[in-house]
Amino acid sequence: MAAITSSLAEYQHQLRNNRLGLWLFFVSEGFLFTALLVTRFYLWGNTRPDLDQLLGLTITVVLLISSFFMNRAESAIAHDDRSEFLRNLLITAALGLAFLGGVIGFEWTGHIRPSDGAFGAVLYGMTGMHALHVVSGVVFILIVWNKGRKGEFSAERHWGVESCAIWWHYVDLVWVFFYPAIYLMGTAIHL
Amino acid sequence: MEAKKKAAFRLGIYVLIGLALLTGIEYYIAWVSPTALTILFVIALLKAAAIIQYFMHVTSLWSEEEH
Repeated sequence: MAAITSSLAEYQHQLRNNRLGLWLFFVSEGFLFTALLVTRFYLWGNTRPDLDQLLGLTITVVLLISSFFMNRAESAIAHDDRSEFLRNLLITAALGLAFLGGVIGFEWTGHIRPSDGAFGAVLYGMTGMHALHVVSGVVFILIVWNKGRKGEFSAERHWGVESCAIWWHYVDLVWVFFYPAIYLMGTAIHL
Repeated sequence: MEAKKKAAFRLGIYVLIGLALLTGIEYYIAWVSPTALTILFVIALLKAAAIIQYFMHVTSLWSEEEH
């Protein structure tokens, strides 16, 4: 019993270090995304390309809902509800793929090309970098789902799930700033 | 245990509703006045704060937790 308690104490100590490491990584990633935002305001100023507003709103809502299901998945494993945990992870991954479908399948096949000067370059740079993070998030979710399916993670030990969830919410967090910057701020200019 | 789980799920729903409302408000503001950059940025900051606090559990960085 003492060994188990000691092991759990060690795990919790490691957990605090893991969390700090992940958040420091987010800070470094923040520089990347902030640079993209600054580029947008420098090159576009108070204008923006005329984009499909309904598409922008739809993919934003899809990503927000995916964050909700990821939160449910994390809560479920924290309360030892494995089936709920696995189901919510799959819903999150599906919504992530739907978001990607909206960006790559519709936004990127619209009237703006990457070669369309500053508008095209910034639009594809921002959405491309974000989409890359969404892809990594979906892969991460599927890895966690597969491990969870095999019985890994428990209410006491689920750093893998927690880090995956925080990563997914970070992807959502970035879009919270990218969505208004790309779709809402400034006067629309039709290219 | 079950009550705690339900409370956690309920909080998630409240946060989602709050984020959806703020998204709707920013969409409306942009429709009425697309050059209101400051207001749109403030709304984005509010949404970000909600995500960081309730979904990313930033307080777990400095507080003791059960797991």
